[in-house]
Amino acid sequence: MHTTHPGVSGEPTSLRLPRIFPRPTSEYGIWSWISTVDHKRIGTLYAVTSFLWFLVGGIEALIMRLQLSQADNTLIDPELFNQLFTMHGTTMVFLVVMPLSAAFFNWLVPLQIGARDVAFPRLNALSYWIFLFGSLFLNFSWFVGDAPNGGWFGYAPNSHVAFNPTHGMTYWVIGLNILGIASIAAGLNFIVTILNMRAPGMTLTKMPVFTWMTFVTSVLIVLALPVLTVALIQLQVDRLYGTHFYDPAAGGDPVLWQHVFWLFGHPEVYILILPAMGIVSEILPVFSRKPLFGYTFLVFAGVAIGFMGWFVWSHHMFTVGLGPAANSAFAISTMAIAIPTGIKIFNWIGTMWGGSIRFSTAMLFAISFIAMFTIGGLSGVMHASVPTDAQQQDTYFVVAHFHYVLFGGAIMAIFGGIYFWWPKATGYMLSEKLGVTNWALMLIGFNLQFAPQHWLGLDGMPRRVFTYAENMGWENTNMYASAGGFLMAFGVLFFLINVFYSARKRVPAGDDPWDGRTLEWSISSPPPHYNFEKIPNVEHRDDWWFTKHPELIAEYYHDEHAGELKAPSGAQFDDDDMAEDEHAETHADDHHGEDDHGHGDIHLPDMSYYPFILAVGLTIIGAGLMTWIPVIIVGVVLLVWGLIGWSMEPVNDPAPEGEAHGH
Amino acid sequence: MQHWLTPSKLNRLALGVLAVVATLFVAACSPEHPQSTFDYGGPVARDQGDLFILIFWISVPVFIIVEGAIIYAAIRYRRRDDKIPKQIHGNTKLEITWTVLPAIVIAAIAVPTIIGIWEQQRGAPTDRGDVLDVEAIGHRWWFEFRYPNQEVVTANEMHVPVGRPVNVALASQDVIHSFWVPKLAGKIDMVPLNDNLLWFIAEEPGIYDGQCAEFCGIAHAHMRFRVIAHAEEDFQNWVAGMRTPPETFEPGSPEQQGQTLFATHCKTCHSDDSWRQDAYSLEIQQQDSRWATWLNDIENSRIVSAPNMTHYSQRNFLGAGIKENSRENLIKWINDPNDIKIGTSMQAHAAVYQERADNKINLSQQEVENIADYLLALKPGDISQMVAPVITGDTPEERGEQLFVSIGCNACHNIESEDTIVGPSLVGIADRAGTRTSLSADDYMRQSINDPAAFIVDGFTNSMVVPKIPASQVDDLIAYISTLK
Repeated sequence: MHTTHPGVSGEPTSLRLPRIFPRPTSEYGIWSWISTVDHKRIGTLYAVTSFLWFLVGGIEALIMRLQLSQADNTLIDPELFNQLFTMHGTTMVFLVVMPLSAAFFNWLVPLQIGARDVAFPRLNALSYWIFLFGSLFLNFSWFVGDAPNGGWFGYAPNSHVAFNPTHGMTYWVIGLNILGIASIAAGLNFIVTILNMRAPGMTLTKMPVFTWMTFVTSVLIVLALPVLTVALIQLQVDRLYGTHFYDPAAGGDPVLWQHVFWLFGHPEVYILILPAMGIVSEILPVFSRKPLFGYTFLVFAGVAIGFMGWFVWSHHMFTVGLGPAANSAFAISTMAIAIPTGIKIFNWIGTMWGGSIRFSTAMLFAISFIAMFTIGGLSGVMHASVPTDAQQQDTYFVVAHFHYVLFGGAIMAIFGGIYFWWPKATGYMLSEKLGVTNWALMLIGFNLQFAPQHWLGLDGMPRRVFTYAENMGWENTNMYASAGGFLMAFGVLFFLINVFYSARKRVPAGDDPWDGRTLEWSISSPPPHYNFEKIPNVEHRDDWWFTKHPELIAEYYHDEHAGELKAPSGAQFDDDDMAEDEHAETHADDHHGEDDHGHGDIHLPDMSYYPFILAVGLTIIGAGLMTWIPVIIVGVVLLVWGLIGWSMEPVNDPAPEGEAHGH
Repeated sequence: MQHWLTPSKLNRLALGVLAVVATLFVAACSPEHPQSTFDYGGPVARDQGDLFILIFWISVPVFIIVEGAIIYAAIRYRRRDDKIPKQIHGNTKLEITWTVLPAIVIAAIAVPTIIGIWEQQRGAPTDRGDVLDVEAIGHRWWFEFRYPNQEVVTANEMHVPVGRPVNVALASQDVIHSFWVPKLAGKIDMVPLNDNLLWFIAEEPGIYDGQCAEFCGIAHAHMRFRVIAHAEEDFQNWVAGMRTPPETFEPGSPEQQGQTLFATHCKTCHSDDSWRQDAYSLEIQQQDSRWATWLNDIENSRIVSAPNMTHYSQRNFLGAGIKENSRENLIKWINDPNDIKIGTSMQAHAAVYQERADNKINLSQQEVENIADYLLALKPGDISQMVAPVITGDTPEERGEQLFVSIGCNACHNIESEDTIVGPSLVGIADRAGTRTSLSADDYMRQSINDPAAFIVDGFTNSMVVPKIPASQVDDLIAYISTLK
């Protein structure tokens, strides 16, 4: 938005397409949401939608837990069970943790870097609408009774038509491909936003860690999702048009599917966990009233995890028979990831150490994240060891492991993040009392459900079985696990109660309820449409904290240079090694400076219908692929209309008086 | 709000958590654990379990240090006043320490890991006794076991001798399955087009539970099997029994009527007489053609791959290891397999089920009982009637010679003179083999058997049929061919 837009600089109006709809201007009501390009509103849409899917995925899990609570249970049949675990996994990965993280990206990245929106606001809206329609497309399969049933990993050839003749896996393939477009677009958007739109003075090393982790995650998304897309398209043409990419009967190699899927799938794990790590890295310093311990190590560890995540995919395939050499290599690379992960854990503890810790709900969730994620990390090292993995692979031990990482890790952190930033987003507080109950029930229920599953796996219970025999010795443990599942559900229920209760009470939050450290706490709650009246000049990490506490600056930098026995260099507390970066930013400064003179001059992109139209078109194409080819034409027409309308539509219409906003 | 969670409340919480853990511990002590990975039945499971225990004990101090530090920091540094703590930025020395220390711990785990990988994935050791070769083939949703050197085929219950290494060649035609007997060895997958190897030694006689561990479709949970370990003598008796015909049934007896019904309705897919001399190779061919028939017309095929029923009464379980093999269960199973195991291919394809709208068997109750009685009477008769296998040689060269004839290699390859029949003469091949490609003589011959197109001798075109034989028999063939002068 700091660049000069063609529409703003007086582009000839004759080039514009005739409009079927007038430019949307609604500020309230459903049309205002459909046409919004405001990152905060889009963030809210992401949050609400994905939280609803979280409830759906949770109910799917509870049905499975009911079925498994007793041996030889006949509550549901195996086909439904297979659909449930397939959709539970797919939902939680693609419709919950990824978009919930995206909700945080949307809400926070511009606020944390001192920007007024993301780099491509309409692309941002497009991401959301594609995500929404993709998720509906995927779940529509429930209503036709053909939900995907081949596992969230869709292993060939079990997902091949010969062995899976229902339409479920076709919904899965096309649904995920639609969702993939949303993720890739969002990933590109945040990379550009973070690289280009930071407030003057905010060098990369002064960037909040959450924004850093968003950046790493976005890079991973942009690189990993296309891998999945390729695999899905191959599977799609296998299923729909009889090609043989993964059909062993015709010479296709099912192991290739696993390589490609996990080449996406393992970076995906870090796509799920890095945002959570970023959230925790924001919460801990605030409630410890201390800067993050070892910022540089922590950031580099995050980057290292993102990078190393590309070299470990075959640890999902230790029992496939890749041979001892490949297995050894992947065992070592997998174990090596424990090193940067360990750095993060120790640095978080170091942040708490010597602090003044306030046990808000957000902090309790953040601390639980470290505690639970550590357990998931340790069990991860156990199955990085190929010989022990031979006993653990595809058992409940693995189920326990990744739930400790993804629920005890990602979801705990996300809940912490919700409690932390809720006041900022809404302007009022969530109840702490209900919050702590929510936290306690979730933590206890979670451990009751998943800790025993380690034992179940070691006792020989495989995953993805809809039932088990009586004499296996698994009954009691499964019963506990199921009880824990329902306790967790109660915890989530308390969250919902909290949301409604607090919305009624509306205890005002104020701009900075937690004594925050980063820029988002320097503006009002909820933030105004334009975020920052004046784009801030950033001088320090935790800039807002040091603005509030200038007397602490010397202490912080003194400590930073303590090892080098060097006194702080006066008022300008710049990192020496960042001199070059600083220089670059000076230019950015000049560039930014001008339009920051106050409210009147702020220009934000106008609303647009086209992202919505484009997303509808794309989804109809998906539906056409599944049903009747001519339907695709309708989708293409909408898609092309959306694309052309979008490209011809200026970001900002000229003001009615004919007076341009720009320069 | 600030101190809602007071230390005394934290204490009560801790007690609550401990109580839960204690109850769980009691739960973990229920009596039977047939698939426990800690009840070692042999060296592979033991090595894997021991390595787990090692990593577990390395993890314990890490766990205590990290979780302890979290709890300590939370309690020790809880907010007591409004003072702002020292704004520490980090501590490079400390941070380097906790980068290096985990690296050392990881190295300590990596070393035994790598040793274990090479130990367990290189095939059965030859220095721990005579290796038994078994081929395990995963089918949706049952296991086929073939003993190429004994010429025995069976299903869902693998018999092995105690104390001898067993080399299991793992394969699948349909989807990916996984062969897992937790007490004997960790799992290895059965992957179409990618044959794998797993070995184990059962140290004590007994029945070891196994289960498919890779999601393979609707009846995945019901795809189980057993490994039955016998003393060497009992194992040899079992092998001999599997090659011995059953007693003949009196005409008009229920068993004899059942036999006739079986032959009419079941035998196309279920072989029941693989004790016959040429039955082994026949059964392999038949399973292949059943598979091909199904693949050709997936929806309407009346033929599917099916478990071999030779001497069925010796089985302990039915339905791929899920129900006790009693007359009552068997009758139930024959009537309506879905009632016991949802998704069986038999019910979905066999004509005798498809003839009825409700897909139950289209036979009278008496007929069903006759079939059950027939199957439960299938057991080895007089052992002196045992049918010798086609390949009986004691040395690799002898077995290789018999294989050469039984496969029919001699139809195309001359072994008497250097004249060409169809393919190249094999006289003196041992001297030439090592010079043809960069491979050694043995490897060249192995390649020529497994993948004839890889190197074609000048003046010939490749029209050789690749023999479907296990690696051990390929070795036997090579041993024999190398003797041809």
